[in-house]
Amino acid sequence: MNGFYGEHRRLILGVSSFLFLVAAWELLLTYVVPVNPFFFTKPSLIAIAFRDQITTGKLWHDLAVSSRAFVWGFAFAVLVGIPLGAIMGWNRRVEYTLDPFLTALYASPLVAVAPLLIIFFGVGLTGKAVLVFLLAVFPFVFNVFAGVKSADPLLINVVRAFGGREKDLYFKVILPSTLPYLAAAARLALGRGLVGIIVGEFYAASEGIGFAISQAGDTYRLPDMFVGIIILAFVAVLLTEGMRWLEATLAPWRAGEEVR
Amino acid sequence: MLPCIQAKDISLTFRPKNREPVAALQNLSLDVAKGEFVSIVGPSGCGKSTFLNILLGLIPPDSGEMELNGRRIHGPGQDRAMVFQEFGLLPWRTVLGNVELGLELKGVDSERRRRRAMELIDMAGLAGFASHYPHELSGGMKQRVGLARALATDPEVLLMDEPFAALDAQTRDLMQTELLQVWEKTHKTVLFVTHSIEEAAYLSDRVVVMSARPGRIKQTLKVRLPRPRDYEMRLTAEFNDLKSQIWEILKEELLGTK
Repeated sequence: MNGFYGEHRRLILGVSSFLFLVAAWELLLTYVVPVNPFFFTKPSLIAIAFRDQITTGKLWHDLAVSSRAFVWGFAFAVLVGIPLGAIMGWNRRVEYTLDPFLTALYASPLVAVAPLLIIFFGVGLTGKAVLVFLLAVFPFVFNVFAGVKSADPLLINVVRAFGGREKDLYFKVILPSTLPYLAAAARLALGRGLVGIIVGEFYAASEGIGFAISQAGDTYRLPDMFVGIIILAFVAVLLTEGMRWLEATLAPWRAGEEVR
Repeated sequence: MLPCIQAKDISLTFRPKNREPVAALQNLSLDVAKGEFVSIVGPSGCGKSTFLNILLGLIPPDSGEMELNGRRIHGPGQDRAMVFQEFGLLPWRTVLGNVELGLELKGVDSERRRRRAMELIDMAGLAGFASHYPHELSGGMKQRVGLARALATDPEVLLMDEPFAALDAQTRDLMQTELLQVWEKTHKTVLFVTHSIEEAAYLSDRVVVMSARPGRIKQTLKVRLPRPRDYEMRLTAEFNDLKSQIWEILKEELLGTK
């Protein structure tokens, strides 16, 4: 591998495949199969819808509404999930007591309780935040739990052998052992949390990205719908990449082991 | 003169849940003089590592007494340090961080800790690698970190549990020679557990052969080879006589456990 292409092969191929797809989509729908815009749309129309939503401020408003519910739900998932997972990992009695409930809840498609949450909390911020919380909390619980359990007994013995006390075992072995798991948990939780916010807004809402997508769909405004979908994909990629960066920062020793 | 390490009638039986108890050590007694290099060889599972762990203070024996300079051992202490077979390096710490571990647990302030750790990193031949993480190092370098970490707190006794078993043959030869150089400089009392007769003969003042489980001392051989020893010494007739002597004693135990 050499030269400009060799060094930036990944970027060049990634960008050109994307551009190719967009161009092919546009040309196909313009010249080959001119479909009724009622049923499908093309990039140029989406771009116009994008511009309109930005100039009217609708996009920012929807984004802000959805983000707020997401941030609340996610923050609580972190605050509850991490200590709960840690306690379960340290104390077998807590583990055995909570495990059946948590496993059942984690395995079941929790979006099914969305209608119930709307009854409890009404249409608006709280119901959506609770749904995000419910979806996002389990990856934290189970990953932190696994992280605590993964602490290498050899390393625990090493710290004990060098005169470490109980507290040193937690802070010098167990806690660092959970960091890579924590980063993985955050990535999983982000994906699930985004599902939560969108489903919540599909189901009952009067604003937000999910609401905008479902409303545009109901009224056959496909370009507007795609604006929502693309924004969502963009946010998801941004957050996931942010998490990857966080993981590399929190746990640089894992850099050598990372598969992807 | 009072021996540095004195093990008196040490017995220990493991009692794992839902399984038959295993007698690991039975009435094991051993004296090690200050500054002496003693190797322990024996069949797999004869309790060699268990003995080191008792001496380290991680496991209490069922009966018998383990003393260091006449004082009974109750738990881990900074007068002993272990070099582990699987290195036991903390993967989230750099070489420097790993070497500092014992000093940190001892409460040494960060300035002095760092200075002392850097000294040992240099001595172990790791200069320039202080900020590397363990996954970036070869097996031999990892064990150099293990040795530097053990020496950092300046313990009186160095315990080594098959420290070179995970290394390739050439690295192993090299590390043995380096260990002898370090030992000649520091005059630590060393207790070295190994599977390798050659390694035991090359390094030690005395070689202790243990019996198959439950572990007892079968025989102790004095090594009368001159020091400092070099690699070529392994080609001499005396060295090979010693090896076959150890082998003869060990053979019965190995065949017995099959």
